[in-house]
Amino acid sequence: MKNQQNKNSVACMALLITSLIAVLSGCDPNDPEDASPGEILLEFSANWNQEPFALGDVVTDHMNHLLRIDNLQMYIAPIEMRNERGDWVEVEDVSLLDFELLNQRITTSLAVGTYDALRFGMGLPPEINTDIDPASYANTHPLSVPGSAGMFWTWSSGYVFVKYEGKFATEAGVQLEDPLSYHCGTDASYRTVSFDFANPIIVESNKSTEISLNFNAAAALVGEDDSVDIVEDPVTHNADGTILGARLMDLMDDAWTLTP
Amino acid sequence: MKKGSSEALLLFVLFATLTGCKNCNPEECVQPPCNEIATPYTIEIPPFFPPMDIPADNPLTEEGIELGRLLFWEKELSADGSMSCGSCHLPSSGFADPSAVSTGITGAQGLRNAMAIVNIGWTPSFFWDGRATSLEEQILEPVSHPDEMALPWNEAVLKLQNMSAADPTNYPQLFARAFGTSEITPDLVTKSIAQFLRTMISADSKFDRWRRGEVTLTDAEFAGYEIFLKEGGDPEITPGGQFGGDCFHCHSEAGLQFSDYLFRNNGLDSNFVSDPGLAGVTGSPLDSGRFKTPTLRNAALTAPYMHDGRFQTLEEVIDHYNTGGVASTTIDPFMKYNSGGLMLSPVQKERLLAFLHTLTDTTFVSNPRFQDPH
Repeated sequence: MKNQQNKNSVACMALLITSLIAVLSGCDPNDPEDASPGEILLEFSANWNQEPFALGDVVTDHMNHLLRIDNLQMYIAPIEMRNERGDWVEVEDVSLLDFELLNQRITTSLAVGTYDALRFGMGLPPEINTDIDPASYANTHPLSVPGSAGMFWTWSSGYVFVKYEGKFATEAGVQLEDPLSYHCGTDASYRTVSFDFANPIIVESNKSTEISLNFNAAAALVGEDDSVDIVEDPVTHNADGTILGARLMDLMDDAWTLTP
Repeated sequence: MKKGSSEALLLFVLFATLTGCKNCNPEECVQPPCNEIATPYTIEIPPFFPPMDIPADNPLTEEGIELGRLLFWEKELSADGSMSCGSCHLPSSGFADPSAVSTGITGAQGLRNAMAIVNIGWTPSFFWDGRATSLEEQILEPVSHPDEMALPWNEAVLKLQNMSAADPTNYPQLFARAFGTSEITPDLVTKSIAQFLRTMISADSKFDRWRRGEVTLTDAEFAGYEIFLKEGGDPEITPGGQFGGDCFHCHSEAGLQFSDYLFRNNGLDSNFVSDPGLAGVTGSPLDSGRFKTPTLRNAALTAPYMHDGRFQTLEEVIDHYNTGGVASTTIDPFMKYNSGGLMLSPVQKERLLAFLHTLTDTTFVSNPRFQDPH
């Protein structure tokens, strides 16, 4: 009788513990949304007209100018993917890409399901661009003081969205010493890059799905509707809203391709 | 134990686990964080400053900081007992060296100007070329460097170890209080000095007080601040130029650090044979002639300027940027070397200078807690 009481007590405790775990974690194992998430691995790389490209390489632009890109950095925020219900699900809130690192990866978890599109903001949305003190972020955050080193203008003008810097020469055989310095930013320059997947991506529980995003750095200077002459227009720091920065953002909007 | 008590305990443990109670996880305790001997010290972060990241293996303690101060000013850390860290980081010079390059105990001269110690707890890399990535790592170098204090570390710790109760400073006892062990090691010496240096915070300049709304800037100082924040160059030549000083790009006011602590070639030379700067660390030709951007805090006190101390006054510094610098393959695109320079007028230069003087913090350099205690 005493043993039976003990057994009942143990069973009661097990039930209580299970219930407590379920209540505290809010978990319904029968709900697919509660399944363990999958992993999304986003790989970012740069190319020069689809050719391999690294910072420091001397390349030729659309006007045959010799050019060397020394610094290519870019905020993207947020990255989202569209699920089967048509809802955009955030994959990552803010990232700072630095193409000094040849291939950069963002690894994050995502709810299982089928996704048919990806989009990301190039730059920072207005609500996080201005009027937030970088010092208010933890130092590991990409918008923090150390995290945004070289990418912060002022409290009122916000962050540099894209830095595209280097040197050029107008003729062969001379040192590349003329400065190229494109710093694009301001709320009006925020752009959204979108892709529909040719085949929907299925994110499975505890499995990794890789997506490659490629930035054609040459296409930042020339596109279908516009082109920039680096000799005529070698500089823009458009915190004050100069037109060249916005034109460059439009060109860069079309400079991305996706490899699912 | 009664059954009810057992169940209550079980539930408590379960609840604590689920709610992530982090109290006293022995596996997370590493020495000295769990050293119960020393008194924890909390840094007070000034308004508008970012958080300071303290290494997990070197938390600040009252005893560690005070020991670090003694060691920073300890001349026995040099081979002939003539030189301490403070010998090249003078309070009157904003904790920098008034000589262009520092002279070691043998008379040998270094290659570069000793950088000012100020708000160093927010600095992500150390030395002009960034070759040390932690403050503790930076402190290791000068003691044993043959052109500086020239004392091998094994001898340095032996000297400290042998300073017993008969000596003015009983280091073994002080290490025991700070770190729970009287066995002195280079690691603990550097940790202690690093703790002290992280407390050397300057946040009471006139600009800081203006930023906090406590004082007003003069018209000239405020006009200088506006020049500091404006894009450089003639807009007819440089798109977006505002006839400003272009200072804020590199000496960013984010977090009131007045440096982004990145590495740049600011157009001092056309080649970098004598000193490759960051390239000497990375090996990349793209880094030739690039040096760390120093903070502008206390700039009026820290002459001479640049990595080699070539400029004696702030006026010379401003003139250098006003001309645009010397072209090279790695010169920073912010420099206006091919477009006529910044084109600041004499009045603008005076105003910019007036602003730079608002960054002087005399309460910092005269703070008794930072002075030589020996």
